[in-house]
Amino acid sequence: MTAFEHLSGLWLRAVERWPVLATLGPFLPLLLLWWAVAAAELFPPAFFPGPLEVARRAVELASKGILGAYLEDSLLRLVVGALAGIAVGLPLGLLLGLSDRAHRALWPLVLFFQAIGDIAWLPILIVWFGFGLGTMTFVIVYTVMFPVLMNTALGVRSIPEVLPRAAASLGASRLRILLEVVLPGALPNIITGLRNGLGFGWRALVAAEIIVGTSGIGFMMFDARRAGSVTEVVVGLVVLGVVWSIVDSWILAPLEKATGERWGLVAR
Amino acid sequence: MKQLVVENLGKIYFDPRLGERVTALEAVSLRITPGEFVAVVGPSGCGKTTLLNLIAGFLEPTSGRILLDGRPVEGPGPDRGVVFQSYALFPWKTVLENVAFGPRMRGLPRAECEARAKRYLELVGLGHVAQRYPRELSGGMQQRVGVVRALANEPEILLMDEPFAAVDAQTRMTLQEELARIFEERRPTIFFITHDVNEAVFLADRVLVLSKGRLREELPVPIPRPRRWAPLVEDDAFKGLVGRVLQAVRAA
Repeated sequence: MTAFEHLSGLWLRAVERWPVLATLGPFLPLLLLWWAVAAAELFPPAFFPGPLEVARRAVELASKGILGAYLEDSLLRLVVGALAGIAVGLPLGLLLGLSDRAHRALWPLVLFFQAIGDIAWLPILIVWFGFGLGTMTFVIVYTVMFPVLMNTALGVRSIPEVLPRAAASLGASRLRILLEVVLPGALPNIITGLRNGLGFGWRALVAAEIIVGTSGIGFMMFDARRAGSVTEVVVGLVVLGVVWSIVDSWILAPLEKATGERWGLVAR
Repeated sequence: MKQLVVENLGKIYFDPRLGERVTALEAVSLRITPGEFVAVVGPSGCGKTTLLNLIAGFLEPTSGRILLDGRPVEGPGPDRGVVFQSYALFPWKTVLENVAFGPRMRGLPRAECEARAKRYLELVGLGHVAQRYPRELSGGMQQRVGVVRALANEPEILLMDEPFAAVDAQTRMTLQEELARIFEERRPTIFFITHDVNEAVFLADRVLVLSKGRLREELPVPIPRPRRWAPLVEDDAFKGLVGRVLQAVRAA
């Protein structure tokens, strides 16, 4: 047995024991490369900080409470915006999915407005709402709404015609058909829309914070640039990626799995 | 008498692809008495599924009327249970929840719905899969669930739209015998659509031949019950009837 085989055997056993290693593993070579490039000082350290320095700065920011407070601000905005986006997108999506007339009348508008990127709205939003919460909320609601709306409509329209028919001939009222057939039938698509919407929303939020924010991770990064701390900018980048990975793999992906895959509606 | 009466039924619809009006059904009249098993045979495109969809209330007729127990049919309702070719089970509900769905929609207490669903599942030997999801079952088992889901709601009439067309030949014969047995034991009223002449003669008391939207012929099936495949495949009376229906279908 070669040393390589021995090592890879050890690795596989370790992954089996601690599944989280499967997620972290691919980052090891990247971290090493980052460290090597930084250590070689190909670029001035002030422009290209190494991983250790970034980690040190992250701990420092966290212990001062800045990182936690900013992260809380960002996540709270995301949650509030996402809830509002769902509250608008879900009923509209159901309407567009259920009514051919509504679909004909509104679908071109939906396509038009979803094509205008959230950030493209910022110049006019700043004029309307100023540099503040109004602008930021609009951007997140806007970003979350369209994927939820479009996927909900798609999900409703992809329910086989026989299912609502079967329910009706078993005595279900229109409301019961909506609750027991249409919603669960569209749920896998709705969750996919949610997953996309929240992902886009997270990115849009950071962009909005950079431009109009007074707190949050995006603001922290932009503020650090002003102060000339590249290290802090990189801390922000890492935090953004880590937070999203956690939200996606601990909340959204299991939710998607628990519904669609169990019912056999989505192929694995 | 809770009989189903179809009077002078016609259905014309606009086909946007052809850009013209198509007559799916024309002047169809029939009568089904309680406890009767009536099968409609005909080639695909003859209008048989349209006829079933009209009786089920999924479509509205262009002319004529449908009366159940003297009252005109308006939209789908629990008095007409439907079994679909594609099973149409709710994928997000367990087998038990699927079968209990009808009784639950009619407002029966939960415990009673479940007890009834279990009883009906036992009827087709599926008590052991009550907690499974439909996709975990074979096609034949799914359609058994489809049949008992409709039965458990105790409708006035059972409408079956080519229910066994999607399962393999072996399973189909088993399901046909099972349906024959259920019919012999409980005498529900059944309106059955198929393109399979053997199936129609095996199951029905009366076979109607539908072609190009019109009823062409009506043949009673005086074969005694219980009916099972083993004796019937070699039975001359059965073979003679199948031959006559086949002739009618091909002549039409």
